[in-house]
Amino acid sequence: MNRAAATRRTTLIAVAVITLLVAAPLALGPYAVTTMTRMLAFAVLVLGVDLLTGITGLPTLGQAAYFGAGAYTAVLVGLHITSDAMAQALAGTAVGLIAAAATGWVAVRARGIVFLMLTLAIGESLHQVAATWPAVGASNGLAGMPPITLFGGPPLLPAGFVYWWVLAAAITVFAAVTLITRSPYGRTLRGVRDNESRMRALGYRPALARYSVFCLAGAIAGAGGALWAAQGRFVSPGDLGFEVAALALLSVVIGGAGSLWGPCLGAALVLLVRDNLSASIGGHGPLVLGLVFVAVVFLLPRGVAGIRHRRESRS
Amino acid sequence: MSVRAFRSMRPAAAVAALVTGILALSGCGGSSLSQSGDTQSSGPVKIGLLVPLSGVYAQLGQDMRDGFKLYLDQHGGKLGGHTVDVVTADEGEGPQTGVPAAQKLVNQDHVSAVAGVVNSATALGLRDFFDESKVPLLVANAGADDITGARKSLYVWRTSFANGKVAGALGPTVVKEASGPVYLIAADYAAGREMVAGFRKTFVAAGGKVAGEEYSPFGKTQDYQPFLSKIRTSGAKAVFAFYAGAEAVSFVKQYQQFGLADRIPLYGTGFLTEGGALAAQGKAAVGVKTSLHYSTELNTPRNTEFVAAYSKAYSKSPTVYAVQAYDTAAVLDKALAKASGGEKLATALTGVGPIDSPRGRWSFDADHDAQQQYYLREVRAGSGDTFVNAVVGDLS
Amino acid sequence: MAAYLVSVLNGLAMGSLLFAIALGLSLVFGMMDVLNLAHGAIYLAGAYLAVALLPGDDVGMGTFVLAVLAAAAVGAILGGVLAGLTRATPGHLDQALLTLGVSLVVAELLSVAFGEEVHAIAAPAPFDGGVPVLGETYPAYRLLVIGFGAVLAVAVYLLIERSRFGSLIRATVADRAMVSALGINTGLVLTGVFAAGAALAAAGGVLAGPILGAQPGLDEKVLLLALVVVVIGGLGSVRGALLGAVLIGQVQALGTSLLPEYASFLIFVAMALVLLLRPAGLLPPRTAVRT
Repeated sequence: MNRAAATRRTTLIAVAVITLLVAAPLALGPYAVTTMTRMLAFAVLVLGVDLLTGITGLPTLGQAAYFGAGAYTAVLVGLHITSDAMAQALAGTAVGLIAAAATGWVAVRARGIVFLMLTLAIGESLHQVAATWPAVGASNGLAGMPPITLFGGPPLLPAGFVYWWVLAAAITVFAAVTLITRSPYGRTLRGVRDNESRMRALGYRPALARYSVFCLAGAIAGAGGALWAAQGRFVSPGDLGFEVAALALLSVVIGGAGSLWGPCLGAALVLLVRDNLSASIGGHGPLVLGLVFVAVVFLLPRGVAGIRHRRESRS
Repeated sequence: MSVRAFRSMRPAAAVAALVTGILALSGCGGSSLSQSGDTQSSGPVKIGLLVPLSGVYAQLGQDMRDGFKLYLDQHGGKLGGHTVDVVTADEGEGPQTGVPAAQKLVNQDHVSAVAGVVNSATALGLRDFFDESKVPLLVANAGADDITGARKSLYVWRTSFANGKVAGALGPTVVKEASGPVYLIAADYAAGREMVAGFRKTFVAAGGKVAGEEYSPFGKTQDYQPFLSKIRTSGAKAVFAFYAGAEAVSFVKQYQQFGLADRIPLYGTGFLTEGGALAAQGKAAVGVKTSLHYSTELNTPRNTEFVAAYSKAYSKSPTVYAVQAYDTAAVLDKALAKASGGEKLATALTGVGPIDSPRGRWSFDADHDAQQQYYLREVRAGSGDTFVNAVVGDLS
Repeated sequence: MAAYLVSVLNGLAMGSLLFAIALGLSLVFGMMDVLNLAHGAIYLAGAYLAVALLPGDDVGMGTFVLAVLAAAAVGAILGGVLAGLTRATPGHLDQALLTLGVSLVVAELLSVAFGEEVHAIAAPAPFDGGVPVLGETYPAYRLLVIGFGAVLAVAVYLLIERSRFGSLIRATVADRAMVSALGINTGLVLTGVFAAGAALAAAGGVLAGPILGAQPGLDEKVLLLALVVVVIGGLGSVRGALLGAVLIGQVQALGTSLLPEYASFLIFVAMALVLLLRPAGLLPPRTAVRT
């Protein structure tokens, strides 16, 4: 298959997928649509994790902290300042960026498993702050956020409208991350992943690249958190807990680290198992998730995205 | 609106007009673009049971399911004359799983009402959802003070207890029984702080003195020795504690292991020595006095009959959680006789009147919270290897 | 003052347990770069085995020792299986996720088998009471645990630093390819260490039983603590695991005594401090090639 045809096919698939996603609320009931909204917001978080883990090779268990920071910011903005979804998302993104910049310099000095541990420590510490600080509702979280509005319009109560807003924002983030990974900066990040000392020898500054991508991933996670809050209109410490971080990392691995669409599918799958399947099998969701982990490692070593690679390399 | 008029508008306003237009259009459609407005179908009434099936509260969830089911079985599977179809969903450990599960019950299964909810954060997070969906939520355990009261909704009711009230009931009694200042200790989370605040209020008002106040990290403390040492050196003559589940087991056992049980009486809210926690504490819990709105040892014909039926059905003793769910079914029984869903059902809840429950007669107060008698209980050895919460008095 | 000294004692008991649990995690990581996230689940399996074998309030010393040995055997089998699974998997992240998956499955199966309730485990008969220490009553069982920790530390020191098998382990940590080139079956060494580490974790589950009990979710808490111990001490280092365990035990016990408001943060603060000052941990293993 030549390059131009491949590009055309990719574009075609992208257009088809987006059309389907946009049309979904017309056909589906409110529960299905709220579920999809949550998946989209979670997919945004997963994109940030993928940028760190897949593209730059820094496995993280701390992104939930910035996701939570974004969600808390959005709810606080919604409660006290404005119900405008755009403002909430921007505020969430900004706070995610600031939180990542303030804590990330500790983590990026390390690599591999030690990096994983440090991000875990950061995540747990921020979780502890959220769970004990009365100003953000401590363990009860923050409830009572009014429904979001857009461009000064009426409150968006029906699930479908919130979904369209989250979809638009998620597509924007997806496009931005795609551009980043294809830019020279994205190549630098891959270089840092594959051979850091060579990058340094070539005159790049890997430390700076790692720090900047950490901040960027924090901002993306913050945006995801704000979108999450736009749907739930509620945030609690569990939103920045270990479980969210582990599920995000799992999504990346299921989907195939380094691919962008694979992890998004992974995110949808993981939430489907946790929120929907679990109740119908007597609360044994963790059992299924565990089996999925094991199966993915053995059957799909490069994630869902790997299936396509395998087929293409064969053809 | 002409094209020209449209063009002359500022972009933001144009988009706003567009959104309003779509909103207006979708008003008549079903699907996800309208806000609920459920039409109640005829036939059996669907009731959602939202209780934890997994995670640390799964045992509570099991007790609540059993209690709810017992009431249904005793009434031929009918509530208020309707055949009831119970849809169970997994609340999990927190709002991350509980909120989606509630959305599923309401939006996909179209239940007439939801009963259950163990976690306070979940209940608080669901308040607006139920209020906007116009589906009643009967909270059968979550204790946060704010679930009823300040932000009460016509659609949110509580058949269990509020943290501050169950702890507050104990205050005056401890003033009477303790021979000196009292030390307050609880897990450091919202419920722990509400329990201590509720107790402190009535305790201090009755003339009690606080020897010290400490909060242990919630879910992270397995070792209470540092806190127990502080209690010992504070000169306290009694201790008020709030812990539940695994933490209750560790705290009560260590209270005995470190030699405090013989010297400083331990008081708490009933969750300190309830259900599985009491079984695991065993003889370490003997002598602990707690306040709660129920005990299996309550000596009334209604309760004796309930305990016998429950033990027969599930071969275990009932817990307060089972009674709360049992009573929730009783409340629904009365309300469903008048209306089968939506705003009418919520309004019917206002008029259910007193409930004749195993815990004694109780009714909803103006805040939609349970108005009930609290009992002073003391852990004593029961028959064989078991331990029970004997009722030693009424608390006002 | 006496209260703080009792806290120190308590920290030592906690440290002893943490050392037993963290040792396997550290060696497995040091030797094959496998982050075994199922370590906590193995610990929990041991704790539940104690629940099954030691019912009631009266437990004899003999039965208790038997339970510890049985747990060690079960742990060794689980560890062997995990070693086989991870060795069939390329990539460190995949291995970590594989063990995370196994831990979810094992923990869920345990809660299906034993229910979600909290189980308490009684201390063995001669140690189930309290003894006076510095004017306070102190549970005798914790003193036993401290004794066990000391014995284990000495035994492991002799095994790792003084025996031939120990030198093989140290050499494998330092340079696996070189050991393999010398004609030694490193696969056998790796599997053996994996199994032994898991056996220690499961035995730790029984030993910690009378203090921590058994309940769903305990596996994650223990795993997190063990990970912190290993990172503070230095991955793959026996002395590091010991120092890290003692340190974290003290941070938990003494730290909670001195700064109760900040108790939940102390462990992470300690870990961040150590990693900022010494990124490889306090006592990293001696490696063949320094990078």
